[in-house]
Amino acid sequence: MMPARSVTIPARSVRLDNGLLLIARENRAARSIAARVVVEAGCAFDPPGKEGTAALLAGLLDRGAGNLSAEAIAEGFEFLGATYVARAQRDTLDIEIRLLSEHLPQILDRLRLLLVEPTFPDEEVRREKESTLTAIAEREQDTASVAEEALAAALFPAGHPYHSRRLGTRESIRGIGRDDLRSFHRARLRPAGTILVLAGDLEADRTLDRAAAVFGAWRDGGTAEPRVAVPDVRPPEAPVTIVRPIEGKTQADIALGFVGLPRRSPDLPAAMVLNNVLGEFGLGGRLGKAVRERAGLAYYAYSRFAPGLGAGPFLVRAGVASGRVTRAVGLIRRTIQALRCGVTPAEVKDSKRALSASVPRYMETNPEAAAFLADAAFYGLGIDYPDRLPAQIEAVERREVEAAAGKYLTLGRHVLVVAGPQIKEEEIR
Amino acid sequence: MRRDSGREGLRVARLDNGLTVILREMRQVRLVSVWCWYRVGSRDERPGITGISHWVEHMNFKGTRTISKDDVTRLVELAGGTWNGYTWLDVTTYFETVQSAALEEMLRLEASRMTDCLYPEAEVERERTVVISELQGGENDPRCYLEREVGGTALQAHPYRWPTIGYLSDLRAITRDDLYRHYRTYYAPNNAVLVVAGDLEARKTLGLVRRIFGRIRRGGDPSPVRTVEPPQSGERRVRLRRPSGAVYLDFAFHAPAAPDPDFATLLVADGILAGGPSVNAWAANSGRGPGKSSRLYRALVEGDLASEVVTALVPSRHPYLYRIMPTAKEGVDPGRIEAVLLGEIDRLARGDIQARDLDRAKNQFLARYALESESVTDVAHQLGFFETIDSHQLYLDLPRRVRRVTAEDISRLARQRLDEAHRTVGILVPAQGAPPPPPAGGATGGPRP
Repeated sequence: MMPARSVTIPARSVRLDNGLLLIARENRAARSIAARVVVEAGCAFDPPGKEGTAALLAGLLDRGAGNLSAEAIAEGFEFLGATYVARAQRDTLDIEIRLLSEHLPQILDRLRLLLVEPTFPDEEVRREKESTLTAIAEREQDTASVAEEALAAALFPAGHPYHSRRLGTRESIRGIGRDDLRSFHRARLRPAGTILVLAGDLEADRTLDRAAAVFGAWRDGGTAEPRVAVPDVRPPEAPVTIVRPIEGKTQADIALGFVGLPRRSPDLPAAMVLNNVLGEFGLGGRLGKAVRERAGLAYYAYSRFAPGLGAGPFLVRAGVASGRVTRAVGLIRRTIQALRCGVTPAEVKDSKRALSASVPRYMETNPEAAAFLADAAFYGLGIDYPDRLPAQIEAVERREVEAAAGKYLTLGRHVLVVAGPQIKEEEIR
Repeated sequence: MRRDSGREGLRVARLDNGLTVILREMRQVRLVSVWCWYRVGSRDERPGITGISHWVEHMNFKGTRTISKDDVTRLVELAGGTWNGYTWLDVTTYFETVQSAALEEMLRLEASRMTDCLYPEAEVERERTVVISELQGGENDPRCYLEREVGGTALQAHPYRWPTIGYLSDLRAITRDDLYRHYRTYYAPNNAVLVVAGDLEARKTLGLVRRIFGRIRRGGDPSPVRTVEPPQSGERRVRLRRPSGAVYLDFAFHAPAAPDPDFATLLVADGILAGGPSVNAWAANSGRGPGKSSRLYRALVEGDLASEVVTALVPSRHPYLYRIMPTAKEGVDPGRIEAVLLGEIDRLARGDIQARDLDRAKNQFLARYALESESVTDVAHQLGFFETIDSHQLYLDLPRRVRRVTAEDISRLARQRLDEAHRTVGILVPAQGAPPPPPAGGATGGPRP
């Protein structure tokens, strides 16, 4: 029999007494399931001076839990062919597990153990810190990472949750000990506010019951901290230009960014359309047309924005040869300036259509659907968000796109970073 | 038209003009993924025109006689779609995953791309700098140099030895006529495979494909690669010094071609060593962490020598390379990593393989095979990729081949292919500045047995 053919498959959810939100979405197309956990424990919540704590914690959840060793946990997943990945994002700590549906009961028990009872063995903490130091050294040589991290550090003042690097610094990593990880875990990994999505070859109601039985007994280990408000920031009063030379590079990474908007902003649908027109549609919107297609300056030139609990950056990115940086920066500036002067009805129509018609594709596979639903639930948009989003985008009017351009893309209140070969700062100012 | 019905939901046909058509019904969502594959890649190049296949791929997004440059991507996006293309050793491919109502439009786009691309001189010049920018962006990662040096050292005769992106001198010299000639030589229905997976009705779709592609004339048959890589008869070593954040190592061995029964053996061997590769060159490692129960992770990462170990084994038509690429932890002598890594390979050669090792590696492969068969994009990719390099049947047969691998097979393969005489070892050490500070926490542990 053919499965139901709604545009997106509906999901069901239940909130447990301890505050954990469970979501299940049935999709019998393959005998697989994706599980996604989202917790408000991203690197934005690293304690001051202990930057990198969330990323370390994400790397250590499966390196010892309950009375199981790291080895036993890895064997438990991998013998079944399941994959496990945990990562600290900016706002959230995310775990994704992909498994064959017959293994769901074992995997749910194991997931609970990792979330609730990680043990942070000294040996594992030391090793994870050392690997992080190697990763930091690698990132310091990576033009894209350097450009984006310098941009965030300049847009958001010291002390702001979005100021610091995801992996922390050499100094902050050295200063983090097992007690720091335990207290971060106690404070931030709590059932209240945590979201678990199970998507795939399952029966929704039965799966919600089963997950409730596994996670219902999870109680706060200590003081429950309320959801953190990410403070608003004022964009810089004058343009900031930063040049970060890195030896041995042939190409420069350009990042030009503004303070954007939070996820719950009413401007979000208009900003999605704005971003699509500026640097997404086709080969990178107007930016791709100007910098790549007409001038042949870059393999990539695009824009994106990262709305979160707070207003994340709205940024333009491009990678160009060292001798072409000045010209590329000029083209980027002119493209933004022109956009502030107006968008065409055809552009708005195309971008709205492209964005709204893409929603079913974002939900195609179980891992994609689980991530989309978890994200929507985390930001309080509801599990019916995939059904509502297309209409929200279609409702955007041209003047709202132009208003968003005027509000968020103010040249003069931006940060420009160029990382790579040495160039003269005055040439790009 | 010849046709044969395969397994449930799969239909394979060949049109009179030689176009192979593979259709796979997957009705769970209203999406279709259309992939048009050509049997052309960097293997079909020679010094002087390296990188030309990839550049042709770029040119084929610049409009056709019937579709404007903007519409090549615009039509896809208006259908809620995503699009892309890539070029590799054996293949060049283009795809669109869109709402199924747009299927016909996507088929027309691919048919037009096969015959009608324009190649104006001005576009060629603009794209020259874009492709050079792509090359240089890649070179910003120091591992790119190591990969290129090791690839070009391990292979000395076969055209797999140069990078798909090409050499800078060739990218500067290739002309519009070179590009157009390459396009006309290889873009013909008899050198192509069209795959559609998703919300489709196979019989109806085949009729549509016949209407749209059937009118295209058959081309000449491109000449096959004749060179066979001569056997290697001794270890080769490469040592690079470049600005870098870490010490990188790259161990390359000669891998069997995908159709060789030993390919499945190497898949399982890599499963034991490193958790197993993906056989999807497009999805690659998305959603996968390191195999933390694998022998190399335990010996090198838990042994405090490496911060990570990545392996690569991409299915190819001719024998290519199997690579093991550890990143050294700060302050660790790469010689220690080499000794431990080779010790682990030696364990395989000696037959130190338990039933559980074998079962775990097979379970991982089979689960990943199932997990990678969920999306219409992945399924269409895999059927098309394998058909282009050999046959889609090979892809369908891989689980059976993997299940049959024995410990003896792996041990024999390790002795024959992963030994000293057949390996190339590359090491890249940072060139600049002060030596990195010692690791936090002080002493590093010793290697594990």
